[in-house]
Amino acid sequence: MLKKGDYIIFLSIAFLGVALLFFNFFGKQTGKTVIITEKGETVYEGSLSDDKTVTLSGNTVVIENGCAYIESANCKNQVCVNTGEISEKGETIVCTPNRVVVEVE
Amino acid sequence: MAKKISTYALLACVCLIFGYIESLVPLTAAIPGIKLGLSNSVALLLLTKRDIKGALAVNITRILLSALLFGSPFSLVFSLSGALGSMAAMLLFLKVKSVSVVGLSALGGTVHNIFQLLAAFFVLGSAVKYYLPFLILAGGISGALTGIISELILKKVKTNGKF
Ligand SMILES: [Zn+2]
Repeated sequence: MLKKGDYIIFLSIAFLGVALLFFNFFGKQTGKTVIITEKGETVYEGSLSDDKTVTLSGNTVVIENGCAYIESANCKNQVCVNTGEISEKGETIVCTPNRVVVEVE
Repeated sequence: MAKKISTYALLACVCLIFGYIESLVPLTAAIPGIKLGLSNSVALLLLTKRDIKGALAVNITRILLSALLFGSPFSLVFSLSGALGSMAAMLLFLKVKSVSVVGLSALGGTVHNIFQLLAAFFVLGSAVKYYLPFLILAGGISGALTGIISELILKKVKTNGKF
């Protein structure tokens, strides 16, 4: 059923995915800043060590104990709430329906 | 002609139902944009029948209707970008003899997710690049699965006559 070309495709996808995954986790380091954007505009930028609750039009972002997470959201899929805490550089929470992005830098 | 149009309409409806069921049963709770993509089977079946216009028509109809019914303008942009990228990639490899439906579908799944993320890059900003490796791997796996389903359907369709 499977042919040679299939294996080449599978291997290329696996290689690309794993290489980029490695790149994501390589030299992982604790971030310093939280940047929150809503609908393309930066609405909050502050230190990860400052405990704070940022209320947006549809999402509540909590920064505490060096982590940021979305506590509650009015979106249908709740993916952003389920993402959980982020604290490492480059880690991101997105709420696609509300166009909210929380990023640790 | 009328028969063709009703076949396309039926296929678009099947895709809509697939899409709705998939939205009810998310594969992962934490990573945005990951789904099985059963609608891909329908586009794939039409492509293997060399019906490129049909695949395009069904796909675009499905995306527009599903955005109207369950989505938002931005989900429309994501799906459209993903579907067009995926179809272009599958079309490119359609004539390669050493690639079966399963490989084609895995490629389509990965390219779909890459293009979807590309659209998200413009809508949400560069931070979404964090999800690239997860989406590439998930696209390959879900694409291979829907490819196996497509192959099973193709076998049935072959024995039961025309599509
Ligand atoms: Zn959300």
